[in-house]
Amino acid sequence: MKLRLNFMETVGAVMVLGLAIVAIFAPQLAPHDPARAVAASFGDPWPPSLAFPLGADQLGRDVLSRIIYGARASLIVGVAAMAITLAIGVTIGLAAGFLGGAVDSLLMRFTDVMLTMPALLLAMALVTVLQPGLLTVLLVIGLISWTQVARVVRAEALSISRRDFVLAARALGATRPRLIIRHVAPNVMPIIVVMAALGVSGTLLLDAGLSFLTLGVPPPTPSWGRMIEESTAYFRTAPWLAIFPGLAILYAVMAFNLLGHGYLRRRGLNASTR
Amino acid sequence: MRARVKTAVRPIRAAIAAIIFALALSACRAGSPAPIFPPGAQVLHLASLDDVPTLDPAAGYDVDSWMFEQMIFDTLIRYSDSGVDLVPDIAAAWTASPDSTVFTFHLRNDVRFSNGRAVASADFKYALERVLDPKTRSKGMEYYRGILGAADFAAGRAKSVAGIETPDPSTIVFRLSAPDPIFPHKLAMPFAAAVPREVVARYGEDFSRHVVGSGPFMLREWIGGQRIVLVRNPDYFVKGVPRLDGVVEAIGVNEDLQWFRFETGAIDLSAIPPAVFPFVMKTPRLKALTMRIVTMTTRYLGMNCQMPPFTDVRVRRAMNYAIDKRKLVAVINGRGIPANGVLPPSLPGYDPELRGYPYDPARARALLEQAGYPHGFAATVWLPADQTMMILAQSVQQDLALAGVDLKLKPVGFAPLLDAIRQPKTVPLFFSGWEADFPDPANFLDVLLSRAQWGANNDSWFYDPQFDALLARAKPLADPARRFALYREAQRIAVAGAPWVFLYFPVTWQIRQPWVHGLALNPMRPARLDRVWISPHPSAK
Repeated sequence: MKLRLNFMETVGAVMVLGLAIVAIFAPQLAPHDPARAVAASFGDPWPPSLAFPLGADQLGRDVLSRIIYGARASLIVGVAAMAITLAIGVTIGLAAGFLGGAVDSLLMRFTDVMLTMPALLLAMALVTVLQPGLLTVLLVIGLISWTQVARVVRAEALSISRRDFVLAARALGATRPRLIIRHVAPNVMPIIVVMAALGVSGTLLLDAGLSFLTLGVPPPTPSWGRMIEESTAYFRTAPWLAIFPGLAILYAVMAFNLLGHGYLRRRGLNASTR
Repeated sequence: MRARVKTAVRPIRAAIAAIIFALALSACRAGSPAPIFPPGAQVLHLASLDDVPTLDPAAGYDVDSWMFEQMIFDTLIRYSDSGVDLVPDIAAAWTASPDSTVFTFHLRNDVRFSNGRAVASADFKYALERVLDPKTRSKGMEYYRGILGAADFAAGRAKSVAGIETPDPSTIVFRLSAPDPIFPHKLAMPFAAAVPREVVARYGEDFSRHVVGSGPFMLREWIGGQRIVLVRNPDYFVKGVPRLDGVVEAIGVNEDLQWFRFETGAIDLSAIPPAVFPFVMKTPRLKALTMRIVTMTTRYLGMNCQMPPFTDVRVRRAMNYAIDKRKLVAVINGRGIPANGVLPPSLPGYDPELRGYPYDPARARALLEQAGYPHGFAATVWLPADQTMMILAQSVQQDLALAGVDLKLKPVGFAPLLDAIRQPKTVPLFFSGWEADFPDPANFLDVLLSRAQWGANNDSWFYDPQFDALLARAKPLADPARRFALYREAQRIAVAGAPWVFLYFPVTWQIRQPWVHGLALNPMRPARLDRVWISPHPSAK
């Protein structure tokens, strides 16, 4: 079968690919070490120039290099946290949707309880208790953002498990694990792919939010959220310090959103499932 | 007192809480309060992020509390408006015995509390006994333990302090158990201000909200988290003072917002946020309105001398060579002087010839190699979680990375940090600072580095017997030359022992509106506002 991507998907895929390339080849692409002072702009940030295309911050660091390296932290957090989210969400969703009954009620009520708690507030509380760090941020974001996935996967699993082909397999004597793995899961896959692509943009934003609240990946690792936080005082006098990392976040979120929505449109799935 | 970084302190979680709190408050408060001042009154408008912790002189031990306490209360003697020399306040004259154990003060007899009662020597005795009473839990207690009988009084074995005598209402005599030539300085701290016994008895713990003093201003209104209003005391004993009719401080305004309000003329004095500082310096109109003072403060990176690898003096010296102090000062817009040692330059006894540790990364690496760390080591630094400190810490992190030291940052709250550094072998590295309470090297060297202060203020757990012996010899000396010579020698031992990375001595900058006159900054105390006056201006309300 020939893979035919639509326009949205193509743009999204190219943008995501670009992001990945920047993250992987950061050491080759960045003109300077992102954590070192390379300009004498201490206390008085420099505007964009030929030597420092996006300016230099109050610690003499090159903003462009920091944004390039920041892609690494963002991508790692975005993708890895999404993986954790999916692992938890899909397991709970499949179990609830396929098994039904008391298991379903129990798991979904638990999900409802989790949904009542504001994600960012919960993440702040958890990170504060667990000490900020890359692994902590990954785990925390994964642990709090699986609820949407669980609900959508459950709804999908519920409808699929009542379809004729599943009933037929059951009538032929297939065991429950076999039913889930061979028949239900593959058919839930498309919606999972969409949730993953759209979810990455969500985790990216959550990571930026945590970094902005100084609870993200600790320095000297550059992160876009923290770059904005550190430049809030310079909003009026050196706006480029905040604008460029802000644009980077916008780019990454848009890339994953386009990819997800494009896929959704191609498969003719209902966007309201998100 | 423990010094905090005063530029752009922005504890974000506190700010969120403050916003929620302010919203809740504004929801239940309708309409504007009746005006306190008539049109055309001379009112100085200020703004601050934090509420005033307390107005009770026995309780306050921070810059914000002291600023208001010194406007409402009087001490026997105080510092001059812009210097650190002692001048009369309520005491017109005083004498000291040659051995510095007996101090006699003669009070003016025309001073009244704002409730109309005359201030007498017994009010000072009462104030100090209140500070020494353990039930008051005053942070100033330690300073007055040297008075004869203070220990007995504090332990409940005596009804009053035997060493404080009040032969008549206008005389007070202090007898000390050991010579202390700097004792008068301790009486210039707000802890020793006269308070009226009858008002304290009436309000008890709530005295802070109903303060009555004899100072130039009186408390008119204090709405927690919103504003504090002082009005002129018409019966203040200095004629023609204060010149202002009142002072209003809006609370909950961070440095950036202060600057916006200053630009619109809504406030009369403001701090200068780091981001606009270069702009202010480049604008002649604004630069002319700035005021600068080198405060008696030292900022340092403390190293715990009991925790490896900082048990090795070579490592501690290497840290000093590895950190570029000039860069740190540049990062804070040049609002500081690279430190050469413990004592700040405005402090009497400062040693200008002390060289300290220049920035020398090669030497740092060599010292680390000698100490057995050719590839450096990893360490965690604790610091107050605010924006400026995080930026400074990242500058230090950059420098140390070049020497092979992998520095991890651990931002914590200010109060938990102070608790943690008092625990033995808990905090290996920490950012800290100290601001003088009185202008004497003892306030730094004794308080911060002597063995007696382990678990209290000696947060680097430094100990050098020779250093302690010098301090003991210097303490009873009244002659400044001999006293300072010994302290200089002691400081050299401390610098060689390098329990801290000596970072910088901060310089405070303020900006005032062109219509504000008569303001003087003090290197050790908040500015006194009693001689400030305001000329007619367009934004007068």
